Amino acid sequence: MRLSEVNVEEIKMELANLKNKKSSQLSLVWKRFKSNRLALLGFVFVMIIIFIAIFAPFLTPYKPYATDPSNRLMGPSRTHLLGTDSLGRDVLTRLFYGSRIALQIGVLIILFEGFIGIMMGVLSGFFGGVIDSIIMRLVDILRSFPVIILAMAIAGIMGQGIYNVVIALGIVGWTTYARMVRSKILSIKEADYIEAGYSIGESTYSIITRYIVPNAIPTAIVMISIMMPTALIASATLSFLGLGVQPPTPSWGSMVAAGRNYLLQAPWISTSAGFFIMFTVLGFNFIGDGLRDALDPTTKH
Amino acid sequence: MSKLLDINDLKVYFNTEEGVVKALAGVNFKIDKGSFHGLIGETGCGKSVTGLSILKLLDNNALIEGGKIIYKDENLLDKTEKQMQRDFRGNEIAMIFQDPGSSLNPVFTIQDQIQESVKMYKKASKQEYRNIVIEELKKVKLPDVEGLLDKYPHQLSGGMKQRVMIAMMLACNPNLLIADEPTTALDVSIQAQFLQVLKNLKEKFDMTVLYITHDLAVVSEICDYVSVMYAGRIVENVPVRELFKNPIHPYSYKLVHSVLGVKTLLENLEEIPGSVPRLIDPPSGCRFHPRCEEATDICKTKIPQLKKIGKNHYVACHRR
Amino acid sequence: MSNRKKYWTNKIIRTIITAIGVTLIAFLILHLTPGDPARIMLGSYASEENLEAVREKYNLNEPLYIQYWAWISSLAKGDLGTSIRYNRSVNTLIKDRIGPTLVLTLTGLIISVVLGVVMGILAALKRNSWLDYLTTVQAIFWISIPSFWLGILFLYIFGLQLRWVPIAGMVSYTSVILPALSLGLRQEAWFARPMRAEMLEVLNQEYIRAAKAKGLKYYIVVTKHALRNALIPIITMLALRLPWIIGGSVVIEVVFSWGGIGSLLVNSVKARDYPVVQAILLLISIAVVLANLFADIIYTWVDPRIRTEG
Repeated sequence: MRLSEVNVEEIKMELANLKNKKSSQLSLVWKRFKSNRLALLGFVFVMIIIFIAIFAPFLTPYKPYATDPSNRLMGPSRTHLLGTDSLGRDVLTRLFYGSRIALQIGVLIILFEGFIGIMMGVLSGFFGGVIDSIIMRLVDILRSFPVIILAMAIAGIMGQGIYNVVIALGIVGWTTYARMVRSKILSIKEADYIEAGYSIGESTYSIITRYIVPNAIPTAIVMISIMMPTALIASATLSFLGLGVQPPTPSWGSMVAAGRNYLLQAPWISTSAGFFIMFTVLGFNFIGDGLRDALDPTTKH
Repeated sequence: MSKLLDINDLKVYFNTEEGVVKALAGVNFKIDKGSFHGLIGETGCGKSVTGLSILKLLDNNALIEGGKIIYKDENLLDKTEKQMQRDFRGNEIAMIFQDPGSSLNPVFTIQDQIQESVKMYKKASKQEYRNIVIEELKKVKLPDVEGLLDKYPHQLSGGMKQRVMIAMMLACNPNLLIADEPTTALDVSIQAQFLQVLKNLKEKFDMTVLYITHDLAVVSEICDYVSVMYAGRIVENVPVRELFKNPIHPYSYKLVHSVLGVKTLLENLEEIPGSVPRLIDPPSGCRFHPRCEEATDICKTKIPQLKKIGKNHYVACHRR
Repeated sequence: MSNRKKYWTNKIIRTIITAIGVTLIAFLILHLTPGDPARIMLGSYASEENLEAVREKYNLNEPLYIQYWAWISSLAKGDLGTSIRYNRSVNTLIKDRIGPTLVLTLTGLIISVVLGVVMGILAALKRNSWLDYLTTVQAIFWISIPSFWLGILFLYIFGLQLRWVPIAGMVSYTSVILPALSLGLRQEAWFARPMRAEMLEVLNQEYIRAAKAKGLKYYIVVTKHALRNALIPIITMLALRLPWIIGGSVVIEVVFSWGGIGSLLVNSVKARDYPVVQAILLLISIAVVLANLFADIIYTWVDPRIRTEG
């Protein structure tokens, strides 16, 4: 196709058509998502956890740090729905407040990893060449380490606490997202409509904002839906190992670890803490799966 | 002459996301033993579906809504999958497909794939198999047969792959070969070679062939009888020479003249106005009526049936 | 240079660069994070004397590149360093513990691959059936459970309550069941769904239809023609999941008090025994790098389209 021979108006119309296609595609995507029962269930799960996180103080009379040594390791009862832990604190209360910690860490990790990942992916994909090679080698190197292991080492040095967990996981975990973004950008770059845009004189900036960004959005959405589950489990694992968020701060991972010593006498501690983790992660996974299906149902059907 | 295959009022629909596609709405033709029977039509008219229906190799969303496919006095549509596999596919009816590149399994050698066909019908030693495979490959006039045995499909050219396909299917010793647009994916020069091979095989082994194509020129070259198909129905069943001498159905007429136009470089290349109908919501009555200049009211309401108008010549049209 | 040679030369170079990079990272972890390495290793209450001794021993006063070089040189000689905590050679520590880790990791890997592949195949064959749906749902389910919690649950139910298996340590042959299951079940999801997708894609190919047209029995079409094609990408998946399986095994080792490298690593991190930590980090990552290279080799050998090129 010799672009110089084709009417510029025609090209503009084609590009506009593409945009319209995109918005009707969007409603189709939403429709598909809504019809997926698991996805809706996941949405409900996540809403519940968010609700608990926001309204925790109103949902329970107890305070998460309030110890009560005379009531240690009590089983579930009417006063303590999930019993008490080794220091007499109400388990359910700590689990509720733990949701705040979990969601906080999750969001921070997403922001951190996402920022680095997207930046690296865009640099790599858009500019190619030497920059791409360097970044990809860095990705190769980092990916040779299991995420947990490297994050463990870093968190171990930096010490406990929410922010250290975020930094440790963030430094290590951005590679997956950089790759996703990069491959999407590469495929967009190859697309015909980019050539068409260039040919009628659009600036690089305009091309980026009008074509690359909107097309990269589905990838970004899928990315975020994958990130939350892994972020939650990774941070819980670090806490479980004693390296992340530690008591008295109520993190679910450390609660599972603490409950482990009392598995025989008080199994409900570990069990319920882990259940909360699973519940939240499941919710995000259902949503993520639903999103992926809604955006590209070809893999299922 | 005895009829090897009799397709009677075949109706096949497909369940798709957008609705039910009425791909075949009553296909009727008979194939004589030993004939080279062409099935011609535009892309999307349902000719491939017809071929696949005979061997029941349709996709999962296909529904066979009615009709009969009589092969040697048995209705294939009544047979179970197991019966089809055991009694008919390969050993009685074989099929070669359009794109040879994707019809051969990329991870097995040529030897393996042909040997697999042979193994189903014959027990022999390893060396004997190798010889038989060589024989089969020689039948399709492939050069340097020994060298081909250990090669993989991707190492062969398109024309060679297609011949390997024929060899692979013929090694099963079928009585009827269905060829679904076998030359569409090949270069024009290779096409000629391929047709030559096919002609050879037909004469030497007295094969019956159902040749499905959209290329009228090919039909004129090797077929002796042809069924013209439009939008899921057969509009004319006629000996080939008769078709080019005297095409009766308005669609056949236009088809023949569009080809002849090119061949004789006539200026009035007759193009058929309009386009092929979407088979989710096909035209009522005669499916060609929206594009036919002679269409009348009856054409829009009543489905024309094939009726005899000459020796071995049948046409489905209200105006003829 | 033929295409193939070029491909492999590039690959080897990439692998070497990655390996060097890996050693750099393992080395730099201790040094780039804020704080004095000696103090990090000995804790905030260490005396200045001990700190100096450690600094001497580990060359911490030298410029970074010299330290790195010293470390690499001793690595090249096979010396992985000395543990601060145990005051023994890291080599011996690792040698004692690598067996159990290999047993656990391999068993877990086999469980996940076998289960995953079988489920994936069945799901593809019976598409959109309840089996298919179940496969997808259970896959999501297993990925959502933290492996440490799964381990603890298993421990509680099968170990403590039912007493079917020993609850801790490597007591008998049956000891490996629970840990391996905790590891394998989680990873199974990562094989089941791609297997299903791959199988569906292959089954859609023309050559499958052609194979059926020959008159081949269905199960032969599936096992001989389809599988042979569909399993190829699983090799890549294996290499991809290896870091996760190793990472998972570390946690499992802690949960089940399994005396392998994983629990050594965790304890060393908490005890700030950094020579050990660095050595183990290095070992694991080099193993991953080699495994990836190996997987690439196998992949090109197994797919005739790639094997016979150039």
